[in-house]
Amino acid sequence: MNSLVLLVVLPLFAAFIIPVVAKFSPKLSLFTGPVVLCINLLLIMSAWIKVGSGSEAIFLGGFLPPVGIVFYIDHFSLLFSGLIAGMVLIVWPWDAKESRLYSLYMLLSAASFGLVLSADLFNLYVFYELLAVATYGIIAASPISKVPNSSATAASLRYLFISSAGSVMLLLGIAIIYTLTGTLNIAHLATMTTSLDGFAGLSAFALIAIGAGVKAEMFPVNSWVAEVYGTIPRQLSALLAGLVSKLAVILIIRMLLMVFQQQAAFDLLLVVGMLGVISGEMVAWRAKDMIRMLSFSSIAQLGLIFIAFSIAGSKGLWIGMALMLHHLLVKGGLFLMADRFAGHMGKLKGLAKHSPMAAAVFLVFVLSLLGVPPFPGFWIKLLLILNLAEQGGGLYHVAIATILLATVIETAYIFKFVRILYQKADADSTPINKNYSSSYTFAKLFALILLVSMLFVSPISNHLKDIANHSASPHIYINKILPTKQLGDRS
Amino acid sequence: MTKYSALLFISGLVFLLMVITGLLPMGHTPMLVGNAILEGAKDQVGAANVVTSVVLGYRGLDTLGELSILFAAASVVGLVLTKSSFNKHASNNDDKHDHHDSGFVAVNAIDLIFPLLLVVGMYIITHGHLTPGGGFQGGVVLAVAFSMLVIVRPRRVSINHGMVSIIESFAGVSFIVIGVVALFKGQSFLQPLLGHGEFASLWSAGTLPLLYLAVGLKVGAELAGLLLALNTDEVAS
Repeated sequence: MNSLVLLVVLPLFAAFIIPVVAKFSPKLSLFTGPVVLCINLLLIMSAWIKVGSGSEAIFLGGFLPPVGIVFYIDHFSLLFSGLIAGMVLIVWPWDAKESRLYSLYMLLSAASFGLVLSADLFNLYVFYELLAVATYGIIAASPISKVPNSSATAASLRYLFISSAGSVMLLLGIAIIYTLTGTLNIAHLATMTTSLDGFAGLSAFALIAIGAGVKAEMFPVNSWVAEVYGTIPRQLSALLAGLVSKLAVILIIRMLLMVFQQQAAFDLLLVVGMLGVISGEMVAWRAKDMIRMLSFSSIAQLGLIFIAFSIAGSKGLWIGMALMLHHLLVKGGLFLMADRFAGHMGKLKGLAKHSPMAAAVFLVFVLSLLGVPPFPGFWIKLLLILNLAEQGGGLYHVAIATILLATVIETAYIFKFVRILYQKADADSTPINKNYSSSYTFAKLFALILLVSMLFVSPISNHLKDIANHSASPHIYINKILPTKQLGDRS
Repeated sequence: MTKYSALLFISGLVFLLMVITGLLPMGHTPMLVGNAILEGAKDQVGAANVVTSVVLGYRGLDTLGELSILFAAASVVGLVLTKSSFNKHASNNDDKHDHHDSGFVAVNAIDLIFPLLLVVGMYIITHGHLTPGGGFQGGVVLAVAFSMLVIVRPRRVSINHGMVSIIESFAGVSFIVIGVVALFKGQSFLQPLLGHGEFASLWSAGTLPLLYLAVGLKVGAELAGLLLALNTDEVAS
């Protein structure tokens, strides 16, 4: 089991040697990354079988927690590790000329693996920071051809400022927690939740949530989203919106489920989520450009995920996980599709006739996004609303109203767009980009997965429920990571 | 208007932080992990400098992460600068200040200081497990030594870019390899090996000095490479 640390270490190793390998053979350096990711996929699969329905802890450096760093492995973290490896493989920059870009992609995947595996707050911060720095570089270095270099640099720079402010807040939150408790191990923190009650503890959670929320496209700190997604290749948008945002969500959720089981914390997420849903849908409704529409719809979907996580206990994790996976498939697929048709919406008239397949794939994604039965999106939204209705308190009922209202707005703008696709072509409509692109193939694959998962809704949902039940339990977490009652156990 | 709202926002934030700070148990914070490390570090890691046993022992993975962040930042600078159009502007007024050293005093002083700086840097790195200092600090000193040479003779002295990147890679790779060796011995990643040795002697604390050497080389090469990227870009093309 100790060898699972290789998930983080192998990509780092690759990142360090790629610049030297590239000097001797550029071809070889291009293939280093994908090979490492494939090895990682194999490691993840073997670990998935070995872990079974249980979980494992890795003590790094052989130091027992809480003094050492711990990796915690269960099906939840392995599931997301697998998604990371798969997603990075899909968006791998095959046509990039700079070997340093491969290094950055490797650093990004190493940081992502670390973020889902680590059970130590400061270690999480280090990986979050590594993820952030690698992302700045990738954004700045790969603008799409139509956008001038300078505006990509400006977008990246603004993103850097917002994101660094977020990192500082995250660090401040962690510092407050450390001052209050004297430990950084999440399982150890879970045994002393009482010392984090009250205003100081809650403000630490708020700082962590908002700090990590920058990456998670959370409501007040998401002004970078549309600008950045507008200047980078669509595959990269798919990676950022589909995966990187989820990793930040996972960080927030770990803290919420294990340490901050307080009503105030849940309410905070609920309010931020509702504001995100409404503001995102409103702007998306007015958008005239497909990428902009997708970006703001992505903000709204992340808001929906935060609403789901405001349901206490394993149910919240179950629904939130389903929402995250669904959003990854749908939004990832839509961004990959946008490679083929982008730009002002009015120019896309008559696209359906030109390429019926593309229009059909697009339709599958948006119908599931809206939650039209029998698509998976419907079941998840239904589940979310039913469970919100079960919760006491007026705020949860407001959330239901918000979700329904948002669905109406979403329907309005999505169908406005679909109508354009199926209209007759006129003079100034541009034919779609017919060049063969692998991202379109992957988009079709995503749609296929979505359609197949429609047939297996019930087994998939049961499986997710099992994973969530196991991962949301602080008892299992604490027992695994702190096997013996250790120093300073105040409970 | 934006200025005032920004001012209002910042003062609100400062007030909030002051309130939070007031609520914290400053001066008598719980030292659960801190005390455990202070008690156990000598027997578990064997480094006379407790900070080193934290940086490379208990939290070795964090250090690897920090190294990677530095590496990422250096790569980003390289990538962005080589792509940008700055160098075109710079090349126009290139000829005016060509082949100018920084004058007799600076050039000779740096020539004198350079070997001393190297010795100090290496000393700080190799004694990181005994005295305050270590790979990060010593690495910076090494980078400063090399950048001094370039600064006083902007055109004549150039650092071999390929060499820098090879050192950088080699250092990062050896840090990881030392960690993985422990893994292959059936232990945990980055577990200290080679025994503790005699406490507070140069050959003590197992693999920690080797790790610090890797850190020092990497930090030095990284910073020197950064300077090089900034320097050559103004001159090149």
